[in-house]
Amino acid sequence: MSTVADVLAGADAAPVDLTGRSGTRALRDGLARVLMWTAFAVAVVPLVWILWTVAAEGGRLLIHSTWWTNSQVGVTARRVGGGATHAIQGTLLQAGVTALISVPIGVLTAVYLVEYGRGRVARLVSFMVGILTGVPSIVAGLFIYAVFMTTFGMQRAAIFVCLALTLLMIPTIVRSTEEMLKLVPNDLREASYALGVPKWKTISAVVLPTAFSGIVTGILLGLARIMGETAPLLILGPYTKAITANLFGGNMATLPTMINQDRDQAVTMPAYDRVWAAALTLILLILVLNLLGRVIGPRSKV
Amino acid sequence: MKITQSACIAAVAALGAVALAGCGSDNNTTSSTSSTSGTTSSAGSSSSSGSDTGTAAADCPSGTLNAEGSSAQKNAFEEVVAAYNEKCPDLTVNYNPSGSGTGVKQFNAGLVDFAGSDSALKTEEKDGVIEVDAAKKRCGSDAWNLPMVVGPISVAYNLPGVDKVVLTPALLSGIFQGEITTWNDAKIAAANPGVTLPGTAIKPFFRSDESGTTDNFTKYLKAAGGDAWKADPGKVWTGKGEGKEKSSGVADAVKSTEGGVTYVEWSYAKDNGLSMAQIDNGSGAVELTADSVGKFIAAAQADGQGNDLRLKLDYATKEAGAYPIGLVTYEIVCSKNSDAAKQAAIKSFLGFFAQGDTQKSLEDLGYAPLPADLQTKVAAAVAALS
Repeated sequence: MSTVADVLAGADAAPVDLTGRSGTRALRDGLARVLMWTAFAVAVVPLVWILWTVAAEGGRLLIHSTWWTNSQVGVTARRVGGGATHAIQGTLLQAGVTALISVPIGVLTAVYLVEYGRGRVARLVSFMVGILTGVPSIVAGLFIYAVFMTTFGMQRAAIFVCLALTLLMIPTIVRSTEEMLKLVPNDLREASYALGVPKWKTISAVVLPTAFSGIVTGILLGLARIMGETAPLLILGPYTKAITANLFGGNMATLPTMINQDRDQAVTMPAYDRVWAAALTLILLILVLNLLGRVIGPRSKV
Repeated sequence: MKITQSACIAAVAALGAVALAGCGSDNNTTSSTSSTSGTTSSAGSSSSSGSDTGTAAADCPSGTLNAEGSSAQKNAFEEVVAAYNEKCPDLTVNYNPSGSGTGVKQFNAGLVDFAGSDSALKTEEKDGVIEVDAAKKRCGSDAWNLPMVVGPISVAYNLPGVDKVVLTPALLSGIFQGEITTWNDAKIAAANPGVTLPGTAIKPFFRSDESGTTDNFTKYLKAAGGDAWKADPGKVWTGKGEGKEKSSGVADAVKSTEGGVTYVEWSYAKDNGLSMAQIDNGSGAVELTADSVGKFIAAAQADGQGNDLRLKLDYATKEAGAYPIGLVTYEIVCSKNSDAAKQAAIKSFLGFFAQGDTQKSLEDLGYAPLPADLQTKVAAAVAALS
């Protein structure tokens, strides 16, 4: 075994070739490369497969203009026609209201945790957010059901779906916003303080704007996550075929419940095609949100 | 300044999406013929003739009815709602096919206006609740079980070239308990003289989910097969075979498996073009038709008081020409309702449902119309709702 020092010391020793690679190393390198690419392929195959199947089965209906303009009123499992407007509108509306409730709570909680929170209370809040992250969506749905339907005897309505989804969205927003706020360099805060700016103004005029696009990205990704959520909808938001915008009473259609309504139809039924089309529509909606997140992301000043 | 810009983009995009969706239309009356790929279904044309029989729009209520329950009647319910809305477009009727048990629970909790259930409200205690009493408490009056949709259960099989197979309750028990394993088994051959049966292995498929269909089918096996069927009837399958989820699952499996056999709602067997076995309860082989199922339902005994029309199905019936496997879906309603407008809407819709014409139109969908006798009784009961 000759070290580099030996080689340098003994000039008459045989020169060691430092440029070439040993066989075993090349082999290991190749093996790792193959493993990596296989893992990549294994991860991507189901994704492409799902996308391909959904697009192939559901794409046909999406090119009809009625799909985007009509509801399913008067259309039954055996009849062709109708659209998904009622479900698209319901999904967007519920997602919007959910965001309206959870964004202020989530962002302000994150501000508290990063800028103010010290000691036991902050640790408790952080711990609770962690627990909330792990709550399965069905539990969130059942919780709202138990509180409002069982205990208070209220009727099911879209607003309760929004409340259940809020429980799921808040922790994602808190976590992503927290990360974004931590990325804001302390120099900025200190510079602001040095100029005599109070803390609240520093946060609202320096810290939050700096992290803004990152926060928006986090919110959009959180939205995309809850839009595909099904379990609370099955419990709290029964399906209807009509277009409704009433959040506080009656049924409201959403894309997941539209899929669920007809998912056990026979393959020969027109409704079967609509289930695939609704699935594709949902994927597209979420894709658009994700893309929006990607577009805004790089504009981050952090 | 860049910040406010991107905020605006996001806000405008979100608002725009909602605003765009707001322009949608609930009117699909013309679109079903003009917009879509041109395949007009037979059900579509039959229902448009239904509007001719419609009465004056004066007795049309408006508002929303919510119903929940049995998935067995979902397709029938949907078609009837569509036909009803051609007559009375102002009443929205929602049906959530979440299962009979859930439907009854939601009804008793006051979350839906009426329930659809494959079995009448139970009079014995189960899970600490007596359904009949809970319903009475919710309504402030008796709740009525109105038989509305008859769903025959077919025994569908896949044997190319064999278009007639006769099975008895004992044979069905043998097949679904794994005791008879080939189609040319001597016992099957004995019941099918003159039919050449192949030696294909029998592959029974069952519903892996809890199902009213399984419940009714096993009830039939227990009642008609005597000791042949060992297990107690129930919603969970206790026999042999391979489990598939939902009716569509078992129907698909039989369609793609030679030698496969399953019990499945008539509509699914029809839609998938499956062959259906004839059933011999002891008085000759009976083919599954709307008529033969009607005879089975007509032979059922009334089990309730007055307008509570719960039925006691006689699965072991020996009546000639009666096809003995089927289920009845009840609409469960409050006989008296403090909300008069709601009750008027229920009355109008269920009255339409119970009409002879409406019941007849269900036959195309794989359901059997209520037998004439029962249909008159149901119509009278609906008229007596107050």
